[in-house]
Amino acid sequence: MTSTSGIFASVLGGAALVLGIAYGWTARDHREQELGALTDRIEQLESSNAALADQAARQDDLLAIVTELETALATALDEAEAARQATPVALAEPEPSAAEEPETVIATATGLEFGDPEQGEAVFAQCRSCHQIGQGATDRIGPHLNGIFGRRAGAHDGFNYSDDMAMMGSDGLTWTIETLNAYLENPKALVSRTRMNFAGLKDADDRADILAYLRQFSASPQNIPEAAPTAQAREVELAPEVLAIVGDTDYGEYLASECTTCHQQDGSDQGIPSITHWPTEDFVVAMHAYKQKLRPHPVMQMMASRLSDEEIAALAAYFAESE
Amino acid sequence: MKLNRRVFIGTGMAAASTLTAPMVHAASHGKPKVVVIGGGAGGATAARYIAKDSDGEIDVTLIEPTRSYYTCFFSNLYLGGFWDLENLSHSYGTLASDYGINVVHDWATGIDRDAKTVALAGGGSVPYDRLILSPGIDFVEGSVPGWDLSAQNAMPHAYKGGSQTELLKAQVMAMPEGGTYVMVAPPNPYRCPPGPYERVSMVAHVLKANNPTAKIIIADPKENFSKQGLFEEGWQKHYSGMITRIGPDFGGGNVTVDPAAMTVDVDGELIQADVVNVIPAQKAGHICEAAGLTEGNWAPVDGASMVSRLDENIHILGDASNQGDMPKSGFSANSQAKVAAMAVRGALTGSRVFPAKYSNTCWSLIATDDGVKVGAAYEPNEEKIASVSSFVSQTGEDAALRKATYEESIGWYEGITSDMFG
Repeated sequence: MTSTSGIFASVLGGAALVLGIAYGWTARDHREQELGALTDRIEQLESSNAALADQAARQDDLLAIVTELETALATALDEAEAARQATPVALAEPEPSAAEEPETVIATATGLEFGDPEQGEAVFAQCRSCHQIGQGATDRIGPHLNGIFGRRAGAHDGFNYSDDMAMMGSDGLTWTIETLNAYLENPKALVSRTRMNFAGLKDADDRADILAYLRQFSASPQNIPEAAPTAQAREVELAPEVLAIVGDTDYGEYLASECTTCHQQDGSDQGIPSITHWPTEDFVVAMHAYKQKLRPHPVMQMMASRLSDEEIAALAAYFAESE
Repeated sequence: MKLNRRVFIGTGMAAASTLTAPMVHAASHGKPKVVVIGGGAGGATAARYIAKDSDGEIDVTLIEPTRSYYTCFFSNLYLGGFWDLENLSHSYGTLASDYGINVVHDWATGIDRDAKTVALAGGGSVPYDRLILSPGIDFVEGSVPGWDLSAQNAMPHAYKGGSQTELLKAQVMAMPEGGTYVMVAPPNPYRCPPGPYERVSMVAHVLKANNPTAKIIIADPKENFSKQGLFEEGWQKHYSGMITRIGPDFGGGNVTVDPAAMTVDVDGELIQADVVNVIPAQKAGHICEAAGLTEGNWAPVDGASMVSRLDENIHILGDASNQGDMPKSGFSANSQAKVAAMAVRGALTGSRVFPAKYSNTCWSLIATDDGVKVGAAYEPNEEKIASVSSFVSQTGEDAALRKATYEESIGWYEGITSDMFG
């Protein structure tokens, strides 16, 4: 037992000695390590400083290049402008080519402009039997037209609108130069069952003039034709070749099954309009008006947006045949 | 067995003119036979379109256990007191009388895919050349600990139309003054994404009128939900202070219920409730799994024709299918049914097959005349049915538009139910 204790004691003593040496060594080593780490860090900082200086120099180079390019661009623009002014006939608008996508036939035009209000007053003569405008104007057969620009369709208090006009209004149709222009051109293309019994003004200049006249009676004229989000297309006048497409009735029958999820086949129109007994051409024009996002309803815009001209014709043919 | 669209349509068309005709005769002693399991938005529509468009060339059998079908869609309007139960009820009479569909009121208990027959609970079996499966949903067992189907009277799910809807309404009407309604909302994917939140709106509408100090708590495992901004705006506007939603950040996904004690444990916090509406996690109707047509909880299909990726003679519609981006809704099922009907007719009679187009719109009512909607158009690619464009109602819309949207939804209900039932 004792000898064992002795061995233990000496082992312990030895261990303590070793530990002591080790501690001293460790402490010294630790300081050296710290010193080494600091040296490394200084080196790192010095090299990143150098990198930053390098970067700054390159940035200056880049700025110089940009300035150079800007100068070159300005010179080029000046030259181009001078050349343009020197040429009396500027680059002509290209004629729409026959090979273009049929969709582009009713392409958007953002540049609708007001015409001559005095000419417009003369054109408005044919509207006066139903619409009054100006001081003291009241609703007659049609609503008065003071403040028509910016007004929500079907929203003028006290006038009894057709269901379709009221529905268009709650769908978000607002009168702007774009929407009024489309409505005046072909009232039933925009609002299918409007009570406005008017064939439409086919002459674009007449419409521009009458719109200029009407605008004088709107308190805060909205001279920002591109601002209305639901009115991107200028017109829904379709090219004859689009209207002439002969629809595939079998295909139309399948496509029509998408319509009948919502539109009842028996012609009921509670909440959702009836689409039965609809003349083919009106149907085609209305679908294109949705496709061009001129008519505002989001579901119909979505459904129409993925229909090709042929598919719209197929639907029209099917509906025409099924009645 | 996996079919791509071109191969499927190609073989379908070729087979129709040459190969299937004799085979069909062998199988059915006459006209080709289509059996449809499930008479909801998918099945009833498919049966009607096949019968209508094949002009008697195809025998159509519809297997549906209920004689009066109560739509699950719009059942929230009944909960909110806007509609009577009768508004939701439809019969199969017209499908039988006007379309010549053989309507069998029985449960389909199994499918023998080799023999191509469907076994009925009442005995016997029905042979098919093509089977359309539209069984809707069943619940994932154990998804809400403490709840199983035996507890559905104490804690109704009301996520299949009919008696459960009635039961939940009765429980809401019987709530004590200042009582608590708890909804345990389901994880994705599930039937009718905005449904639970429209339901909360409708319950709040009823409570606001009859029991204004009552509270509604939603325990929700999802970070976000359908039309969230629109619902939250509406809840603030119409039912301020009544509705509390506990999302997953606060333990909304960690829920245990005790139907005997009527308590809900949300992440350790015990709520004593008067009505507990448990909407469990969902899976394809059981028959899909029993027939070996599922992968995971749902039945995978090819979006070109809704044909099962595991059986070329079976098309699977609606909530049960795993098709891609379309939500599980009545509108989706109805849209898918038309594509499947066209594909089935093409395969059996050689009629023309056109490229599939799908669409969906979900309307929800938040309060009286305050309707909102979300929708999208879809087209299939090799992998799935993919969304190609979409829209959603905006917050801050004016009252006239919201009212028109609600009226539009009523019009849609009339449209789709006549599209389903004739």
